Amino acid sequence: MRDLKPILLVEDSPNDVELTLAALERCQLANNVDVVRDGAEALDYLHRRGTYEKRNTGNPVVVLLDLKLPKVDGLEVLGEIKRDAGLHATPVVMLTSSREERDLMASYNLGVNAFVVKPVEFEHFFEAIRDLGMFWAVLNEPPPHRQRP
Amino acid sequence: MSAETLSGGHSVATLSDSDACAREPIHIPGSIQPIGHLFLVDPASGAIWCRALTGARDRRPTNEAFFRAAQKAEYISDLMGSRFLEEVNARVTENGGSRHIGNRVIDGASFDVFAYETEGAIAVECELRTDPDRDGPSFDEINRGFLEAISKRGTLSEVLRLAAQCVRSITRFDRVLIYRFEPDWTGVVVAEDRNDVLPSYLDLRFPASDIPLQARELYRINRTRSVTDANYTPLLIDPPLHPRTGRPIDLTNSTLRSVSPVHLQYMRNMGTGASMSISILRDGRLWGLISCHNRMARPVNYSRRSACDLVAQLLAIRIASIEALEIAEDRRRLSQRYSELLAEMSKSSHFSTGLVSRTDDLLGVVRAAGAAVITPSGTRVVGEAPSIASIDKIVAWLSLRAPFDVFQTDRLSSECELNEEVSSRASGLLAISISQLHDSFVLWFRPELIREVKWGGDPNDKKSDLSPRASFDTWRETVRGRSKPWQIAEVDAATELRTAIVEIVLRNAEELAAMNERLVAANKELEAFSYSVSHDLRAPFRHIVGFAQLLKDLESGNLSERGHHYIETIIAAAISAGKLVDDLLRFSQMSRVTLNKLPIDMNALAEEVREMADPSPGSDAIRWRIQRLPEIFADPVLMRTVLQNLIENALKFSRDRTPATVEIGGWQDDDETTIYVRDNGAGFDMAFVGKLFGVFQRLHRVEDYEGTGIGLANVRRIVERHGGRVWAEGSVGNGATFYFAVPSEVEPKVQCET
Repeated sequence: MRDLKPILLVEDSPNDVELTLAALERCQLANNVDVVRDGAEALDYLHRRGTYEKRNTGNPVVVLLDLKLPKVDGLEVLGEIKRDAGLHATPVVMLTSSREERDLMASYNLGVNAFVVKPVEFEHFFEAIRDLGMFWAVLNEPPPHRQRP
Repeated sequence: MSAETLSGGHSVATLSDSDACAREPIHIPGSIQPIGHLFLVDPASGAIWCRALTGARDRRPTNEAFFRAAQKAEYISDLMGSRFLEEVNARVTENGGSRHIGNRVIDGASFDVFAYETEGAIAVECELRTDPDRDGPSFDEINRGFLEAISKRGTLSEVLRLAAQCVRSITRFDRVLIYRFEPDWTGVVVAEDRNDVLPSYLDLRFPASDIPLQARELYRINRTRSVTDANYTPLLIDPPLHPRTGRPIDLTNSTLRSVSPVHLQYMRNMGTGASMSISILRDGRLWGLISCHNRMARPVNYSRRSACDLVAQLLAIRIASIEALEIAEDRRRLSQRYSELLAEMSKSSHFSTGLVSRTDDLLGVVRAAGAAVITPSGTRVVGEAPSIASIDKIVAWLSLRAPFDVFQTDRLSSECELNEEVSSRASGLLAISISQLHDSFVLWFRPELIREVKWGGDPNDKKSDLSPRASFDTWRETVRGRSKPWQIAEVDAATELRTAIVEIVLRNAEELAAMNERLVAANKELEAFSYSVSHDLRAPFRHIVGFAQLLKDLESGNLSERGHHYIETIIAAAISAGKLVDDLLRFSQMSRVTLNKLPIDMNALAEEVREMADPSPGSDAIRWRIQRLPEIFADPVLMRTVLQNLIENALKFSRDRTPATVEIGGWQDDDETTIYVRDNGAGFDMAFVGKLFGVFQRLHRVEDYEGTGIGLANVRRIVERHGGRVWAEGSVGNGATFYFAVPSEVEPKVQCET
């Protein structure tokens, strides 16, 4: 199982966590989904520090990142990921609540890989998550593995 | 008239007076009447510089000795004594009038001595006293009688008649007139006292040129003047020029001044041998004259003239108080109406409504027959007024003249070209401007008042520049194109009304501006609120839909039919709510997005939208008729939304037609470009056309045609943000056409809404 990279979901709303997990489940991916509830946790997880010191899984194959997060904002997390030499190759998909936020994001030009506006109609949501899950996790070639200290 | 005509006599127009003045100024005649002696004297030494002397040959036999002495004297003290110069210097002031030094008897002849300053010299005048001693009541008694009579309440005409009587008692002339100047300096004889020797001139009018500008100016400064014999020969002053100035001597303040030969001719034409006039001054202006005429030559000495001057001054005071009283009375009568108008305007939404709702007061406040209130929203007329077209013409003419607050005329047709029908209704015009920038005026009209007036001779009768009117026979004129003149109280009422209206308008404008500010702020708040609410609502609806679907999937086997139905309903409702929220979000975004106007190829855009909207382009289900569309200058993203909404609507409402026809066309005018989308679908009832573009307004049931009712509201909002307009036509069952038009602009303009 060590080879299979996790999917990291950064989402603060419990309902949205549940819905996203249900959608991902439908995809029947082999990958595990790890969930963190705010930006600070996300960074701890990614840097393997704090509560996640002992994490022995590799870098996530994709990070599903909500925009509005407590403690550390989604944008900040994104920024850190992209600035970090070890992390910046990690694909990040921003989840936004509205198209306007999406426009907002675009101006930051932080090198985000994809957007999903969380649609009201669940079918669409399922499809969107599913497509992402399939693409990044199964079909996509993960970046070359880097040695971790 | 005991007044002076210049050799440059003109017809009635007053502008030419100034030309005439230059030709023969009457204050420097260079000669005196043969009724005394004039000495121009050095104020310091008393040396006699110039002189004019009345001698025996001028029929003044009793001063032979003095005459010879006066011819030779080098100093005034030689003639008048050593203290004379000192006395004169003490009495005379620079620019002051003539001073009566006293009565002197020299070598058996009795003189009235006068002195005045003239450009650095002193003129000493010795007027021979020649008229017989008085019999009958003294001047004093006569004047006191006059004062008493006019102190009692009296009308203006009574007081004027008493003055004429009084002056005639003093002078014993054949005819005494009170002559009053009108605003254009035409003179009217308003009172008269006479015997039968000379004809009556009562009510006659005389043109302004009879007493031209230069004469009127002199009469303001020097209040009395007389000609004792129309056939006199003038005595030249020797030498003629003032030694200090080198110019002819200024005799404005002279008692002996000689008059123009033209004036003497005038007197002879009028049949008078002697004349005298005294100025009636009000506030330093010439109100009129007391004019005295005698058939035969007749002297008038200083004391007589002085007594008449007193009458003139008393008269002036009395006239002033009578006129002031009349104006005050008039004001009082008008003020009631003014107050009513003010009260009504304060209650009304607009001052014009207030004014026209009180017709009687609006007309009565200035005693007009008709009125018009002109505002940017239109013209409202009350009473007897010209047609709106004529009123517009009058307003246009007024606007071309210099800016004004209050304008009045009693002869509009002489200044503004009007046809006869208008002229009869609007000979008199009183106008106030509320705002000339925004075309707001109130106009009052008076009709033509046809009067017959009598002139003392044909006012246009002038044989040539050098001879005055020959005939003074009454000449009748029918005056047309004039109304009853506007009184001071009436013009004042109009002025005050103007001030009140301007204040009201300003106050309203301020209130409006404040209200606007509040509205804008409230709007901003509302939009921010609706945006944030919509945004926050999305998540819960998303959750409802998601979990409801998960539940359905999970328990599908265990659910009854009704159970399925309930879950489906929950899901549908939540999706619907989510859509509503999305629509609201987009709608409130509309006003915050900056417009980026570009020229758009509408045919290309229509094609794109059609491709997206038509699921099966090859089939016969939908027939497209897209014509040649004009280019539009607008924001491409927003225009796409407009077309999308209209085309989606067209398809939605015509989907049960075979075929569903959607037609798109348009045209370009000078100022706007119009596009329309027409379908052959369900249509709508024109009775509800006003609701079509409202937010969340639907004209169909949701089970018949889905939708939140915000699409058209979006269209309208976008188009109106471009400065355009939307409208629609339709009938039930016969399809609908939706139009929108945007301005055909050339220059790109970035619009930012607050």
